[in-house]
Amino acid sequence: MTHYETRTRQAVVARQRRCGGVVIWIAAALAFSGCRDSARNEEPNEMVLHHVLHSKIKGLDPGCMRDVYSIMVASQIFETLYDYHFLKRPYELVALLAEDMPQVSADRLTYAMKIRKGVYFQDDACFPNGKGRELKAQDFVFSIKRIAGIEYISPNWSLFDDRIVGLDEFREYTKSCKNETDVDYARPVEGLMATDDYTLLIKLKKPWPQLVSAALADISTAPVAKEAVDYYGRDIISHPVGTGSFKLNVWRRDSYIELVRNTAFRGELYPSDGEFGDAEAGYLDDAGKPIPFADKVVWTVIEEYQPAWLLFLQGKVDATVVPKDSYGEVMTETGQLTSKMRHLDIQLKTFPDPSTFWLGFNMMDKVLGRNKPLRLAISRAIDRRKFIELFFNGRHLVAHGLIPPMMDCFDPQIEQKGYARCDLQEARELLMQAETTYGAKLPPLKIAMPGTDTWMRQYGQFLERQLNAIGLQVEVDYMDRPTFEEKLNNKGVQIFASGTTASIPDAIEFLSMFYSKHAPPGPNKFNYSNPEFDGLYEKAQVMPDCPERRELYRKMEIMVLEGCAAVFLNHRVAYVLHHDWYKNYKPHAFAYGLSKYRRVDLKKQAAYKELQKKAK
Amino acid sequence: MSTYIIRRLLYTIPIVFGVLLLTFALFNVVGGDISFEIAGGTTTQQTIDEIRQEYGLDKPLFLSWDSQFVNHFKNALTFNFGRARDREPVIDKIKRGIGPSLAITAPMFLGVVLISVSLSLVIAFVRGTMWDMLAVVVCVTGMSVPYLSFILFGQYFLAYKWGLFPVFFSPDLSMARNVALPVLIGIAAGLGGNVRFYRTVMLDEMRSDYVRTAFAKGLSPQRVLFKHVLKNAMTPIITRVVLAIPFLFLGSLLLERFFGIPGLGYLMVEAIGSRDYPVISAMTYMSAILFVVFNLITDICYLLVDPRVRLE
Repeated sequence: MTHYETRTRQAVVARQRRCGGVVIWIAAALAFSGCRDSARNEEPNEMVLHHVLHSKIKGLDPGCMRDVYSIMVASQIFETLYDYHFLKRPYELVALLAEDMPQVSADRLTYAMKIRKGVYFQDDACFPNGKGRELKAQDFVFSIKRIAGIEYISPNWSLFDDRIVGLDEFREYTKSCKNETDVDYARPVEGLMATDDYTLLIKLKKPWPQLVSAALADISTAPVAKEAVDYYGRDIISHPVGTGSFKLNVWRRDSYIELVRNTAFRGELYPSDGEFGDAEAGYLDDAGKPIPFADKVVWTVIEEYQPAWLLFLQGKVDATVVPKDSYGEVMTETGQLTSKMRHLDIQLKTFPDPSTFWLGFNMMDKVLGRNKPLRLAISRAIDRRKFIELFFNGRHLVAHGLIPPMMDCFDPQIEQKGYARCDLQEARELLMQAETTYGAKLPPLKIAMPGTDTWMRQYGQFLERQLNAIGLQVEVDYMDRPTFEEKLNNKGVQIFASGTTASIPDAIEFLSMFYSKHAPPGPNKFNYSNPEFDGLYEKAQVMPDCPERRELYRKMEIMVLEGCAAVFLNHRVAYVLHHDWYKNYKPHAFAYGLSKYRRVDLKKQAAYKELQKKAK
Repeated sequence: MSTYIIRRLLYTIPIVFGVLLLTFALFNVVGGDISFEIAGGTTTQQTIDEIRQEYGLDKPLFLSWDSQFVNHFKNALTFNFGRARDREPVIDKIKRGIGPSLAITAPMFLGVVLISVSLSLVIAFVRGTMWDMLAVVVCVTGMSVPYLSFILFGQYFLAYKWGLFPVFFSPDLSMARNVALPVLIGIAAGLGGNVRFYRTVMLDEMRSDYVRTAFAKGLSPQRVLFKHVLKNAMTPIITRVVLAIPFLFLGSLLLERFFGIPGLGYLMVEAIGSRDYPVISAMTYMSAILFVVFNLITDICYLLVDPRVRLE
């Protein structure tokens, strides 16, 4: 063999080895992966709550947060002055970081709040020696001023706009600062002061009865340490430092979040009282015990329903919503759990959600705005029950009005008023009247849909078919969210599909969407303008909760329904499944920081595999 | 050859400029204003104005040294992609996603190429027989089944029912275990089309005179197939294989989404849906560069496998 042949042979062997290496690597990876999924990487008696997020979270900076998924996670890390009682219904506000409920002046313009002593920020590198310092009233002042800072671009500013004495002026001042870091947060604001380390004083321009529920119990006002903001700068979104019972351990953006128990947590006890039936339901079994129970809280971001459902069935997720496509596997026709679910000891919880969904009309549109018969014809043409049956397995409630049934001002007689009835004959007659009002044949109407996915297309097709049935031609325009928002705010749509969920147990949020001074980019996307409604709204918005205010709310709702500014379609009813081992799972419509109350029965959890084998 | 390479690299400039211009026009001129969506449903005009200022949307589109397009161009050239809409630096997102994406796409790609080229050689050898017919039927069936069906079937049976793989990405498991099922599904779904393609390429070669000569000289089928046919079929194989490599960096949207692999496929699609322009811009720009570079590599590879090719 020549030298050349030897080298060629060596080269061939080396190449074969390399190729072989790749093949072996792939084979090994696949073979190794083929092994059965081992147990979780958790300590044997570690209590871990496993949750699912159906969307990625945007950040963990409370002042700059508005999406529900970010709030769900951040609420375990941060705390607010007030929060809702975990068990009591109707929903009741209780002091959390405050000593007690606020002292309110007779003119209802000044709120004084004592801050609880002995509350510490979580240990973090931003503090000297990494040790969290005590919470002070100044931290609340800083956090609210931060929202006012123009450079911070907080989506929560609208909450405080024209509310607190001197805060709007502070916002004006921040315009002169080049960067967020240039803002002098020590600059006094008359209506937002820490009179001492443990007293916070808020002075309002006019009464704001929702101050506690909408602002002081909202995550946006959760205290953030200035040290953390200075230390992390713009990266504060991924370095949350709060006072809550859990702190961030791992955040793999887009996929996984892990919180661990905050060992420096001040200590809190599980509530000892609740509503009627809570004791029988086992919600008071842990009364008086120190919380949190869990060592870790884990969220996995799973945007598709199949994997979330399969993980739930495998026992790797504690709770899940009932997936639409697996509805038959979960529920019988009578609305009970199937025997398969019962054998797996799976529990079902349903609760009304404070939400309303609608088909809104642009009241400034030339065709629709001045043509009430046309708007009414559309309303009569839509079969809301069929819509709910088709798209939500019949689980939602028909919206007979704007205000969801769980609100205390909900009018139980609203159904009898017939605003949500479907009557094709009446719709056709109204359409004829509409043509007379318009003075010519009606042009095709455009419906703007805020999405391009399959569900949205099915929804659009449903609307199109319903309206075609009365002889009305429509074009459905599917668009991405930014385009939809832009068109909506520029008054560039005729009919639009939308909805909202209340963040407080007060219907004012729903009614504010029809106040003419809240025109886009404010919440009044309908461009609805009714001086009589405005007068009542201005009166009601400064009134404390009382029977008179409830009557005003109902009157305003009827005005909106009479004016037919929208076709109200449905109120959501949440259906949640959870494993029997997942304890203290009482759904709450407004509070998010509930992981501290949840507990896992580790014995039951360990026995689930056997249960699963039997069920199979 | 070096002149050719330099010339091709210079072509990169107008191509990348064109890509930047097109992306900019699509998302900034044709597309709407994102500031309303960022601000949320309840906001003030002041906040909208501030958002527009923060994102540079208040600047002229083209006709100024400080215009949106000039800034977009400058940022791209300096690889300064800024921050995404969630305020995280775009480059961090890309760095984090590239590993998981390649962990799926690279073994999937290698698996598909190795298996389909080998299979197609064998099928070409047994052309016209029952085995060939059977392979064609299986390939066409594989091509006809939607990709999503492979995923749903694989996830339900292989992972959930039989417990052979994890149902979803878990940080407690190694990356190899997490990506095994998506890779397997990707290979299974990709084989039909690829085997059909390579079979056609191999059949063209099998009908050549040199193959008949090789068999006539008494060479073994193995030697004829792997030494002669494969070498001569390399040009179309290289075209297909090398040009597919840039797409590996873009990840696999459906597999990433269903198996929770935090890669770039989903990042890109989500960015388009939410008009996260800095992310779209960075991904498009980098893809364009990769595509141009791998195009050049393809040409150089032709030179290596076919002595008749001259790069002039």
